[in-house]
Amino acid sequence: MKRRNFIKSSALASTALWVPSFLKGHSTDTLLKTRSGKILIVIQLGGGNDGLNTIVPYRNDLYYKYRPSLGIKQKEVLKVSEQLGFNPEMQALQSLYDQGLLGVINNVGYPNPDRSHFRSMDIWHTASDSTEYLSTGWLGRYLDSDCKGCITPYHALEVDDSLSLAMKGIYNSGFAMGDAKRLRKATDNRFLKAIAQQEHDHDHENIEYLYKTMIDTQHSAEYLYQQSKVYQSKVKYPNTPFGKDLKQISELITADTDTKVYYTSLTGFDTHANQKGKQGRLLKQYAEGMKALVEDLKRNNLLNDTLIMTFSEFGRRVKQNGSGGTDHGTANNLFLIGGNLRKAGFFNNGPDLQKLDKGDLIYQVDFRNIYATILENWLEADAPAVLGKNFTKLNIL
Amino acid sequence: MSKIKHLYWRAGFGLSPQEWEERKNWSIAKAVDQLFREAKAAGPLQALNVSSLTKKPTKEQKKMERKYVGRQNTACLVRMANPNESAFMERMSLFWHGHFACSSKLSKLAFNQINTIRKHALGNFRDLVLAVAKDPSMIRYLNNQQNKKNKPNENFARELMELFTIGRGHYTEQDIKEAARAFTGWSSNLSGTFIFRRRQHDFGTKTFMGRTGKFDGDEIIDIILEQRETAQFICTKVYRYFVNEIVDTRIVDQLATQFYQSDYNIEALMRSIFTSDWFYDKKNIGTKIKSPVDLVAGISRSLNIRYDNEQALIFIQKALGQILFNPPNVAGWIGGKAWIDNATMMLRLNLVNYLLYASDVDFRTKSNLKASARNKAMRKLEARVNLAPLQQILSTNNQERTIEELSDFLLQRDPAVDKKLIQQYAQSGTGQDFIKMAIARITSLPEYQLC
Repeated sequence: MKRRNFIKSSALASTALWVPSFLKGHSTDTLLKTRSGKILIVIQLGGGNDGLNTIVPYRNDLYYKYRPSLGIKQKEVLKVSEQLGFNPEMQALQSLYDQGLLGVINNVGYPNPDRSHFRSMDIWHTASDSTEYLSTGWLGRYLDSDCKGCITPYHALEVDDSLSLAMKGIYNSGFAMGDAKRLRKATDNRFLKAIAQQEHDHDHENIEYLYKTMIDTQHSAEYLYQQSKVYQSKVKYPNTPFGKDLKQISELITADTDTKVYYTSLTGFDTHANQKGKQGRLLKQYAEGMKALVEDLKRNNLLNDTLIMTFSEFGRRVKQNGSGGTDHGTANNLFLIGGNLRKAGFFNNGPDLQKLDKGDLIYQVDFRNIYATILENWLEADAPAVLGKNFTKLNIL
Repeated sequence: MSKIKHLYWRAGFGLSPQEWEERKNWSIAKAVDQLFREAKAAGPLQALNVSSLTKKPTKEQKKMERKYVGRQNTACLVRMANPNESAFMERMSLFWHGHFACSSKLSKLAFNQINTIRKHALGNFRDLVLAVAKDPSMIRYLNNQQNKKNKPNENFARELMELFTIGRGHYTEQDIKEAARAFTGWSSNLSGTFIFRRRQHDFGTKTFMGRTGKFDGDEIIDIILEQRETAQFICTKVYRYFVNEIVDTRIVDQLATQFYQSDYNIEALMRSIFTSDWFYDKKNIGTKIKSPVDLVAGISRSLNIRYDNEQALIFIQKALGQILFNPPNVAGWIGGKAWIDNATMMLRLNLVNYLLYASDVDFRTKSNLKASARNKAMRKLEARVNLAPLQQILSTNNQERTIEELSDFLLQRDPAVDKKLIQQYAQSGTGQDFIKMAIARITSLPEYQLC
């Protein structure tokens, strides 16, 4: 309970206006300016995106040998290097690459990979080893650590009705908001507002915690709703729930919302059958979403302060299966987007298809090296404290 | 606050209005006896729909299996709420289900596992561990099917020690390797029964926890239970679940000594907790955050709720973060404050409102796999609420008094806010409407989330 002090009944009782605990000692004026520069957006591609058909090793004969019908033909690949090119549906992402706004890290994974969606997603969320089970997420622990300016409940915001494990800490958690209007409606309860304004005296930490969560949520819902109306983006986003989420994030950032980490996801990448069309549509949606978001941020001069990280719980088996799809695999590529990358383009070589582990790619970069880099170089946090171990930082930010 | 109600919340899922009326003046001794009598008479569950297993299930079959496991799930919640079932047996089953956390995708295995747990829930812990080690659902969940001589899989052996019995720090990595060898060949067949595959079993000599012999799985479990630390580990977990998250080491030491000396008699352990004075200390009453299952079962029991569409029960579990037969991982549900974030909190506070007034829920649960970014919102929780039994136990028409009596029945601690406020916000209704509205207000107090 370091930063977010518990409700002091006197503070509530003595003020006519209803002011939650975390505003104590902050005038509204300073509160609106406490967001310290940099913003992180995490995008989760759920279901296990097939990295080999996302960033295609179009010069590699083995790729075509393993994927006789699923492989993307050389002439269709959007070639950007001697070896690698984008899936043809990702023109929008290629344009970011061309502008030096995209970094691609290949072969990202972890030791002893788990091929279950749920388990592997948990490993990515908690940043655990594959043999350990943690109940807190890496961003949740970031909130629990002495993170700079972490005083609001919405310091880390997930654009969803419920909260991912990645965002859960012990003392602090992120904030879930699928939609500002709907959240406001869910919290719009006269009685609950009335009890929030009452004087309370709590003799147990659990009841204190419940009251605090309720009051924080009421206030945050109102604040975020007001923030969501400040700026209406003119940029065209994909007309999908994912596109809407990105637009909401961009509008909140532009409104100078006091949120430092945003989290959202795009799902449907579990392509065991008829992969080509399905994955193509999703990648197109993702790429166009990223392009729109970047354009929006650029217009508002915020691109240099924003970093977007995109990951998936695993990549897929190198060899295509019998149904025109791929099964669960291991290492994958990870994208970083922003105006302030130290190394744009490809961070490392594409996968080595000659050296596989039972038909799966062997990881070269532990995803926790990337987390460590983001935590220290972007969020100014103590990475070893958050991750529980020392992971070498990468020269990417 | 009432000791009886505390007992019934921790050993069960609260009381129905009739039970409250009948038992509120019972002595603890009488109530405890009754709880154990009911639990021992509970017996095995009758099979719902379960399908037989096939080697390569089709998509259709998998879908049916999901549906059948879902029915096992909702049947559990219905039993927890039903005053004619043993709530104590349900509570013990839920505890052991969380302890031996296991996710079952096959309805027959889920069903068999819950019956295995019920059989030993108040028996001997050794029998329970052994039965779980031979339980096909667990064998599959922790990869013991793949645990073969010359190719051991350590998953079960590791969790057996780390999570199920003795806890970290009391065994070595080498112990895990040796234990894994002892469990080779413990497998299950397509009819969902345990089989010992002799040809896959390693009959060789193992050295485990300082002892050497041609141990098999039974003997490994015996050796683990010979360590006093196992009794300590289990009693700590029991205390944290049934009594208080903050452990009183002096009491837990006493319990562990007794548990160890009784040769792991679970019934004796639970009896001494519920009949002790410290169990009813103020610090232990109304301080535990209800799990989603506690919350839902408790609401159904106290307000007489029947779900027309039992999918609603699955939806609530999903939205609040606890799905029976589907724990997050083998470590089970963490519990406590981990249940609470801003999203689950608002849903919890509004839940009874949604049920009483059939109002719009508008909450989308997560789907990490499906192509639609979010599941469809469950707009209505189709449920029938019968408040007549609760109305019958109210003694007066006086509104202030009614609020007192309802709070007394529904809450496990005095509200931090003035009760006059509840009355004020329920006053727009008269008669039955007032009662309904008062219930909605009281159950939306943060205090209602505690038991």
